[in-house]
Amino acid sequence: MTVSNISKKQESISNLKTTIPFAFKIVFQNRVHIVIAVAVFTIFWIAFNIFDQLLFFSPVVTFYLPDDAMAGFILTNLISMLMGILVAMNIFAIRNSKLKLDKSLFSGSILGIASSTCASCSSIGFLVISAFGGFGILATDFLTNYQTPLRIVSIAILLWASYTVHNKITKPCTFNALTDNNHEKQTTPP
Amino acid sequence: MKNNRICAVLVRVTLVIFLAALATFLSLLLSSLQPYPQPFYAFAQIQQNAALSLSNLIKQGAAYQGTTSAPVTLIDFSDLQCHLCDRFVKATEPIINSTYVQTGKVAFVFLHLPNRGFDSFPAALAAQCTNDQGKFWQYHNLLYDNQGPIDSGWASKDNLKKFASQITGLDMQKFNSCFDSQKNNTIVENNVALAHSLGFTQTPSFIIVKNDGSNPQKLEGPQPFPEFKFLLDKELGGP
Repeated sequence: MTVSNISKKQESISNLKTTIPFAFKIVFQNRVHIVIAVAVFTIFWIAFNIFDQLLFFSPVVTFYLPDDAMAGFILTNLISMLMGILVAMNIFAIRNSKLKLDKSLFSGSILGIASSTCASCSSIGFLVISAFGGFGILATDFLTNYQTPLRIVSIAILLWASYTVHNKITKPCTFNALTDNNHEKQTTPP
Repeated sequence: MKNNRICAVLVRVTLVIFLAALATFLSLLLSSLQPYPQPFYAFAQIQQNAALSLSNLIKQGAAYQGTTSAPVTLIDFSDLQCHLCDRFVKATEPIINSTYVQTGKVAFVFLHLPNRGFDSFPAALAAQCTNDQGKFWQYHNLLYDNQGPIDSGWASKDNLKKFASQITGLDMQKFNSCFDSQKNNTIVENNVALAHSLGFTQTPSFIIVKNDGSNPQKLEGPQPFPEFKFLLDKELGGP
């Protein structure tokens, strides 16, 4: 790896410190996106806690958090939060982008959906799949034993998806700013 | 061009998976919100009363806690490899025990539903062999305390024997003979058949009945104490 590559990487990482808050600011200055994020978070929070057998509606509504479920609960909260943020950012990008939906935007959505499916399967998989005999038992073993790693993978995918959408939201501005600067440089008399 | 096609295919496949997951979630949610179907009650009341009576369960070799004169019976269908059963054992069972079982209001019965892995059935057989010598609950607690990932080898036949050897007062010769000959195969299979006849497929699953097996109320999953309290009080005719 050359010195210029390393410095470019360092520069792009330091850029994230400004572009991520900027992306959040422009997305969540609109209350509609806050409502969307909260709604998505709530739906996923309820779904995950039902599947993890922490939230019960019948015969009485009860939520409890036993010691063994603490790690899973923290991970599902993170997934729900990231899903809320990601969906709101995607909706912002779709509503505000003059460009057609291109690969980067789709990849964000795909990753978001795939990770939510993956995360759901890690919880509900064993409920559904236990009906399939011997193969079901093997699949159940896998999903139950590797539930935490699967959730960590889905968090990583969601973070990557958020980064992709954040790029989509912030890059056009950078691009416009650069072209504007170039244009000014070219038009300014020496 | 080719990338766009791949992208479009990926989008479609992912959407199908997502919709399938969503449909499964909604159907599970709806089924959990619906009251239990009437035919279940009718079937249970007519056909299952005798099978679910405390005297019959004890006669069939089930392990139990509490007095035989308790007006209500709480039947637990569990798998010794199931981590959600372990959650129930650690978080909810002690409160039920101190509130209802020790006070003579409820008898707590354990039945086997070994469906989580390949080592579940041998674990159930081993536990049933300890029940023959009146050491079931010690063995039950020992297995849950040492529970590992499903089918990881923690409940292998050798380990099941090692766990049994840790129980004071257990005759290991009798235990080994019982376990190796699969003496209690029929008992465990009958437990599984009873669970299936009640519509239970997941563990832990519970049914609360009166002493004679009448008026069944089902609960599925490692539910917290308030859920049990609601149904047990209802069954006891209390508040």
